[in-house]
Parts: sequence; structure tokens; C-alpha cells
Amino acid sequence: MNDLKGAGKFYAHYLRKYWPGLLIVLALTILASYLQVKAPIYMGDAITALTKYLQTWSNPATRAQASQATFNSAIIKMAWFYIFNAAAMLISSLIISQIAGRSTGTMRIGLFRKMQWMRVSYFDTHSDGDILARYTSDLDNIFNAMNQAMFEIFASITLFIGMIIMMFRQNVTLAWVAVASTPVAVVLAAVIIVKAQKYVNEQQDDVGKLNGYINEQITGQKIIITNGLQQESIKGFLKHNEEVKKTTLRGQVWSGILFPLMQGMSLFNTALVIFVGSALVLQQGMSVAAGLGLVVIFVQLAQQYYQPIISLTSLYSMIQLAITGARRINEVREQPDEISPENGKILDGIHDKIELKDVHFSYLPGKEILHGVNIEVDHGEMVALVGPTGSGKTTVMNLLNRFYDLDSGSITFDGVDIREMDLMSLRENVGIVLQDPQLFSGTIGENIKFGKPDATDEELYDAAKQARIHDFIMTLDDGYDTMISDENTIFSAGQKQLMSIARTIITNPRLLILDEATSNVDTVTEAQIQEAMDNVIQGRTSFVIAHRLKTILNADKIVVLRDGNVIEEGNHQQLLAEKGFYAELYHNQMVFE
Amino acid sequence: MKTLGHYLKKYKSDVIWSTVAVVIISFATLWQPHLLQDMLNAIIKRDSSTVTKLGIELVALAILGIIAGIVNTIYSARAAQGVAADMREKAYRQIQTFSFQDIEKFSASNLVVRLTNDINQMQMVVMSVLQQLTRVPILFIGSFILAIITLPKLWWVIILMMILIFVISYFSFSKMGQYFEKMQTMLDRNNTLARENLMGIRVVKSFVQEQNQIEQFSEASDKMTKVTIIIGNLFSILMPAFFLIGDLAMAGSIMLVGSMVTSDPGALAAITAFVSYLYQILFAIVNGGFMLTGASRAFVSLRRLQEIYDTKPSLTFPDVPEEKLSGSIEFDHVTFTYPGDDAPTLQDINFSVKPGEMIGIVGATGSGKSSLAQLIPRLFDPETGTVKVGGENVKDVNEHSLRRAVSYVLQRSTLFSGTIAHNLRQGKADATVNDMRWAAHIAQSAEFIERLDHQYDAPIEERSANFSGGQKQRLSITRGIISKPDILIMDDSTSALDAKSEKLVQEALARDLGQTTTVIIAEKIASIIKADRILVLDEGKIVGSGTHHELVKNNAVYQEIYRTQKALEEV
Repeated sequence: MNDLKGAGKFYAHYLRKYWPGLLIVLALTILASYLQVKAPIYMGDAITALTKYLQTWSNPATRAQASQATFNSAIIKMAWFYIFNAAAMLISSLIISQIAGRSTGTMRIGLFRKMQWMRVSYFDTHSDGDILARYTSDLDNIFNAMNQAMFEIFASITLFIGMIIMMFRQNVTLAWVAVASTPVAVVLAAVIIVKAQKYVNEQQDDVGKLNGYINEQITGQKIIITNGLQQESIKGFLKHNEEVKKTTLRGQVWSGILFPLMQGMSLFNTALVIFVGSALVLQQGMSVAAGLGLVVIFVQLAQQYYQPIISLTSLYSMIQLAITGARRINEVREQPDEISPENGKILDGIHDKIELKDVHFSYLPGKEILHGVNIEVDHGEMVALVGPTGSGKTTVMNLLNRFYDLDSGSITFDGVDIREMDLMSLRENVGIVLQDPQLFSGTIGENIKFGKPDATDEELYDAAKQARIHDFIMTLDDGYDTMISDENTIFSAGQKQLMSIARTIITNPRLLILDEATSNVDTVTEAQIQEAMDNVIQGRTSFVIAHRLKTILNADKIVVLRDGNVIEEGNHQQLLAEKGFYAELYHNQMVFE
Repeated sequence: MKTLGHYLKKYKSDVIWSTVAVVIISFATLWQPHLLQDMLNAIIKRDSSTVTKLGIELVALAILGIIAGIVNTIYSARAAQGVAADMREKAYRQIQTFSFQDIEKFSASNLVVRLTNDINQMQMVVMSVLQQLTRVPILFIGSFILAIITLPKLWWVIILMMILIFVISYFSFSKMGQYFEKMQTMLDRNNTLARENLMGIRVVKSFVQEQNQIEQFSEASDKMTKVTIIIGNLFSILMPAFFLIGDLAMAGSIMLVGSMVTSDPGALAAITAFVSYLYQILFAIVNGGFMLTGASRAFVSLRRLQEIYDTKPSLTFPDVPEEKLSGSIEFDHVTFTYPGDDAPTLQDINFSVKPGEMIGIVGATGSGKSSLAQLIPRLFDPETGTVKVGGENVKDVNEHSLRRAVSYVLQRSTLFSGTIAHNLRQGKADATVNDMRWAAHIAQSAEFIERLDHQYDAPIEERSANFSGGQKQRLSITRGIISKPDILIMDDSTSALDAKSEKLVQEALARDLGQTTTVIIAEKIASIIKADRILVLDEGKIVGSGTHHELVKNNAVYQEIYRTQKALEEV
């Protein structure tokens, strides 16, 4: 129910501005329904008129008076009704397609915009696939529902009501016959939908289990091959497959039976109307002309009578998907944005110290990761952060440009707390080189200019040269105009790192955060990375999560982190002399017996 | 389609029942207007006994239709489920015969998609074929014939209506096809942008490019919206146009009946039946069109499955009696090229290993270490030369003998959901708890397993999320040694272990598996420093062989590796 309310608000929000269009659609739908239920009446009239004409004509005495005028006018009216009906449907369908397309577009852009301002923590706690599904399947479901369901639900309801009214106006007894089976059909449909839902859920569970099994086995196929476990794997598969076969059969029968059943009911209802109608005509001694007309009208209406019910039942799942989609998109919309302080300080470079004072931080409340970290870096110094996985190195990086905010303590640049600075300005001054840098589809040049789209070609080449990637780019046929994307890249892991360095150099940040890549690269690239690193660090205050000995030896200061505490600090020689954790680390890994 | 028929054969009786049911439904649908015509004639004649008789016939026919509908659904679903399960089973069995190479050719994730999504497509198509596809042509042809029989003089109205519908469908669908293609490109573009921004959110934020990205995305999104609306407009025209054609054909027919009623009074009662048939024809065409679109998607899936079925395993084992192989290894002029590669990965490799020896293999990334090791358990075949295990060419022994003799621990430790015991028994089917304990103590996994509540019966979650990388590797080593193999290959399988644990594992291996020939592939020289012999690989060739002390003195490649590794790494 909550979902329904949320969905209501969601659609109200996005559809509000289209109210005139929706109103027109509403009016047109009512009109179309009226025209559609009224047209068969003219058909009945025409048949009646024709019968009378035939009777008059058949009697030689009255043949001269026989006229088809009533017949013709009924047919022409009917034709006009149909034309107007089609026109009304066309116009409202056109309007709906505009509204559905536009509002889905607004939702899509809104979702993207929201994503850009949301906190990093959301992305760290949700899988990419899950977030991306909101762009694809959820928006798709919403669009389909708006495009088809919105119109159909309304049309079905008005048509249904219109038909009932029309039937009762024509002949009360026959109308009762026509609607008598409705409650049965509705209850039947409801029961089947509930059952189908239950069994389809069961089916989905089993399918999920089977898919999980397949996924695990096939992904681990190399283990299966090397251990000769193929037969065992097949055995496990067959068990799941059999299970799925059983539950899916039940699910499919229940979900598949509704449509044929409703069609059968419609057939039955029409048969009943014909039967009772014809009997009624004879029993009540109606004239042949009126009787034929009446039966024809009711047959036309009865044949259509079940259409709205059939449509509504088939729309059920579509609507449900749209409600879920709205909930999932709402979930994102309700996420908090990043906070930039009002009148935040605009940074004019970083001229002096960067200090972390008694920094406490936790990703999850109660699970503190950093326990009072103190680091002080002088202007232009390079700090190497060293420590085992999970020691908190990456977390320190996350705090420096406010991807996350600390729990207590402070981080200050030139004595100013970073939370008092304008967020954009802070980030413009802090550059980041990530381990596995994301590239964007576009040209190489655009990627390097990512942080400074208005950079000149000179700046571009200069950055690439400093990052030691220029020569490689020049070997490509299209040079800087070569199209790349993250999926289909021409770069090796090492070259990607160089691209990332070039991208950072061009923005000329005052503070640099560099997460050194651990991936193995060939010796040539290794040397290039070394030079590029030296270039990018030159003249900047920098934090480096270090993995390579050379980097560590180059550092002005080594900070050793362990379990969220700074346990040692100093340069290489000092730390070795201390014979502490760093010294042990160094000897264990590096010195051979 | 032929292939699909092949799978349906097994469900002949289900298919027959569901088809019979479809024929009955179609008959009921088609015959009702005809009975209506008779009924109207009976009214004209005021023949109440005929009215009763026809009424009962009508109702009986409708009930028959309902029953047939239910029967059809049940049997269609049975056939669809059966076919889907069979196709899935066949594909799965086929995949189990695949070699490493075949798996890599498809990629594991791609195979999973085929086994799930594509099979699902097939299931839906069988269901809809049995429920609808036979019905559409029956209704179409039946209505056409009955309509012409009902009012023969109006044959041309039907033809005219059909031509108009076809012309409109043809034009709008050909136009739509072009926009659908455009739509797909734009959809891809939108999704790519969203995905890239999602994965690179830190990059976007740290470069303060949010606004730029929003503008870029809005532009792409707006373009897509435009095409969406165009397609929507084309669809908007379609339905009202179809109905209008049908409605006007109906009005026209009645008009025509009016002009001929004096010469043919029977036409009066026939008109309603004729109109019903007209609509049936219209619906059949529309439904048929929709179904064809769905079927085209199924063809793609069928083709993708067919690819699995048609893949002959690239490597098969001879059907020879099982034998016990000793732990010696011999490479004789072995050259190996990965399928699809131009340059060989291994060139002229020669060496032999005595049972019980410990061999280390080092070399830069891409020097061919793993490729070399993979030839021993015959995961690939060499291009030229021979690989022998226990003195026998690996191509001449049966799979089970080789698997029993050689245990291969991969770099990426994959565990399966279940219990620890379940995973360890993959290495030795009848392993007792004592066997497990023994192996776990060697692999240094006992210390954490035996602290767990259920010890060896402790659960392993999906993607083994409840164990750390180092623990996973130790478990996977435990699985590798539990069978006391004659040859143990460790392909960089201690990379996530800390230095101390790694040392303990190696000491225990030397102590308790002294008889086992051990081949250790390592990135870190520390991992193989104690080997009896170290092979140095460089660009697919063996460039050095000897102990650490020998190599460090006289082998340039080894010295270089040694030098670059003097870097501090994470513990």
C-alpha cells in the first residue's frame, strides 16, 4: 500500500505539468467510449430498418412505399461515429505518446542529475548493476505502463461502464443476462491472478536457484575440469532442472490460463445473449425487424463486453512493474545530496600545511575504521601511506576531498577546516589518480581534458608528454582523436594509469592523491610510470598509497597505518632503525635468505 | 525451427493435445457467427424450437471452447517446460565436455546467459507457438473461407480490407524498423553514459565535472526522447487505422447488403456473421504481426544455443583402461600457441622432473608460466612436441588416471557454495574428517576452520563471501592436496597469503608430501626460493634453470626479476 502511495506521488510529480494534455485525453477517451458503444446501436437500427424495408418491399401492395432512407442514414451515422472514434483514439494516443516519452525523459535526466550530486557512500553500498537497472528496466517498465496502461485502464473502465449503460437502455432483461456472468469472471480472474502470483514467485525462486547454480558451476568450470567433477556437476544440475521444470509448469499454467479463460467466457456470454435474446424476441412477440435489430446490437456489445476485463487483467502485471519501478527510482531520489557549506571559503591554492588531527571515521556506525589519526604534511611534501589491506589507507584518501566526512577530529588546509570550504573549490584543488582509472567513451583528447574541457591543445600535449603517454598516442592512426571507451580500450593497464596521470596534470591540482597501481606491467611501462609519477608529484603536496619500493624511498615522509592507527612515521632510514612493523615488513618481503 | 521441432518430438502427445484444443477453440470461435446467422433466420421464421436447439448448440460450443482453452494451456505449458528443460540439460551436458579452451572461447558469463536467458526465450516461444501460432492461421483462413461462403458477393470487400491493412502495416513497420535501429543506438549511448558515470563517479566528482556530465547526458537523453515519441506516434496511427478500416469495411458491407437484399433476402441474416468474420480476419493479421516480432527474437536465441550444441570439445581423452601414473614429468620440444594467437606462447620447451622434486617456475607476466603448467594436466594440447606424466604421453592416458595423478591449484581460488567438507571432497570423493584435518594442517587452513562453529561442516556462502582472500586460497590448496596427488601444481596459489603462512605451507608440503612432485609457479621469488630447481621463463622460452643461489649469480633475467621485486608489498 505504501508502494502505491509512493508511486502515486511519483507519477503526480512527473505528470503534473502535463495536466492539460491529460485532461484532453480524458475527454477524448470518454468521447471515444461513447462513440464505440453507440455505434452498434446504429447497426441494430440499420438492420431493423432494412428488415422493415424488405418486408414492405416483399409485399406487392406496399412495395412502392419501400424506402431505404432510414437504413442509409443509420449506416452513415454509424460510419461517422466510427470515424470520430478513430480520430479521438488517434489524438489521445498521440498525446499520450508525447507525455510518456517526455516524462520518461525527464525522469531519466532527473535520475542522472541526482546521481551526480549524491554521496559517494551510496555508490559504495549499492552494486553498479542494481543502480544501472534503474536506468534500464525500471524506466522501461514505467514508460511502457504510461504509454499503454494509462490510456487503456481509463478506456477500459469508461468502455465497460458505457456498455452496461447502453445495454440497460436497450433492453433490461437482456442486459441482465449479459452482465450476469461478470461477477463470476471477476472473481475467477482475481483468484487466478493471486494463484499465478504465488506460483510465479515460487517459480522465480527456483529459477533463481538454478541460475545461481549454473552461474557458480560454469564460472568455476576450471575447477570442475581440473578435478574431473563433470558428472557430479551434471547430477547437481539435473536436480535443480527437474525442480524448475515442476514449479515453472505450475507457474506457467496459472499465469497462462487467464487469457484463454476470459476469451472462453466471452464466447460463452455471447452465446447466452444470442440464445436468450432470440428466445425473448419470440416470446415477447416482437416484430421481426425490431427483434433482429435488438439481437444484432446485443451481439455486437456482448462480443466487446469482455474486452475491458481482458485488457485490465493483462495490464495487471505491467502496472505492478511500474509501481516497483517508481519505488526504486524514488529510493534514489530520496538519497541525501552532498553538502557544500553556504558561503564556503573559495580556495586560492594551498600554501602551507595539510593537517589531519585526531581523525575518527566509520563507514558504518559503531564500526570505526580510523581511530584518531594524526598526519601533518608540509607544503610540497610527498607522503607515502604504507600498511596492510584494511589498515585505512584508502579511507584517508576518501576523506581528503570529502567523498566521506569524518566523525570527529579535523582535516585542515592552511588551517581551514575542509568542511568550511566550498566543496567544488576544494575538489578543484585536490587531484586524484585512481588505481583503476575510469575512462569515458569519447576521444583520447576529451578524456585527458576531462577535468578542464576548455584546455588548449598545447596544454593537452604538454600534459600527455609529462605523463609519458604522448608518444604512444602519436603512434595511433587518429592520434588524440582516437575514439576510446572504458570497455573497449586500446590501453594496457599501465597506459591507463598514464592516462589517468595526464588527466590530473592538466587540471594542475595543489594537492595530489595518488593510489599506486599494483598491477604487473612490463619494464618499459614501469619506467614510464615512474617518470610520470615524478612529474606529477613535482611541486605539489601529495599523498601516495604506495606499493613500490622506489616510491616509498622517494617519500619525504612514510606513514605506516595498521588497523586504523598511525603506528610509525618517518623516512625510510629512520623507520628501519626503529626495527618496528615497517622494518619487519621490509625484511619479510624483500630480503632473501 | 527444424531444431525446435526435434525437441518437440519427445512431447508429441502434449503437442497433439494442445493442437487439438487449439483447433477446437478456433472452431468454436468461427462457428458461433454461423450459428448466429441460423438463429436470425429462425427469428425471421419465428421458429422457437430451432431457436432452442441453436441456443443449446451455442452454449455447448462455448463451454467446449472454455474447456479447450484450459486443456490447451496445460498441454502447451507441459511441452514448453519439457522442451526448455531438455534444451537446458543438453546444453549443460555439452558444456561439461568442454575444455578450458572451449570455455574461454565463449567466456563463462556468456555461457550462463545462454543457459538462462536464451532458454527462457525458447520456453516462451514454444508456449506461444502452441497457444497462438496455430490459432492465428486457422482463424485467418477459416474466417476468410466462412466469410466468403456467408456472403460470396462481398469477396472483394475482404480482399480490399486486407490489402489496406497490409499496405499500412508495411509502410509503418518499415519506417519503424529504421527508427528502432536509431533507438537502439541511442539507448546504448544513454546506458553507456550512465554506466561510465556510475563507475567513475569518483573521477567525475574529484574533477568537479557533474554539471558537464549532466549536460552531456541530457542531450543524449533528449535525442532518445525524440525518437521514442516518433515511434510512439507511428504506433498511435496504427491501431486506430486498423480499427477504422475494419469498421468502415463493416459499414460498407451492410450498405452493400442493403442494395442487394431484395434479390437475396438471406443476406439480411448473414450480415452479422459476415461482420464477425471480418473482425476475426483483422485480429488474426494484427496478432500474427506481433507474434512474428516475438519469433524473430527466439530465432536469435535458438542460434545461440545451437552454437553450444555444435561445439565439439576441442580436447578429448582416449578410452583406455585406467592406470596408476608416477610423479615424473617430461617436456620434449614442446611448442604451444593459444588458438587465435599468431605468436607461440611457449617455444621448444625441454625439461624433465623426477618424482618428488620441487620445481619453481618464475618469469615476468606473460612469459608463459601458467601456459606451461596447464599442459601437464592436459588442459591444453601442445602444438608440437610431447608432454609426459609418469613416462606416458598425456594424450594416451584416460582422463581419470591423469586427474588422479595431477592436482592443479589455480591462482583464482574458486569455492562452491555448500560446506567446507563438500568443497574438500571435490578433491577426494571419499575423504574422511581425518583426511580433511591432515590436509588442512598442511595448507594452514586448519587454524581457522577448526575455530568455526561447525568446523568442516561450516557453510561456504555464494561467492565464498564469508572467507577472506587468504583463507580462500588456503582452502583451495587444502582441496588440492587432500588426495595426496603424485603431482601438485600450484599456479600462483599463495599470492594472497602473508609471508609467514606461505612459509608454513611450504614447510609442511616438504615435510608431509615429500613423495609428491611439486610445481610452484610464482610471481614472488620468495615463494620458490627453496625449490630443488627453478626454471626461468622469458617470452615463452626457458632461459635458465638451477637453484636460487646459482641463478642469482649467473642468470640475467632472474637477477632482473629479483631486483624489481625488492619492493615493499602489502602484507
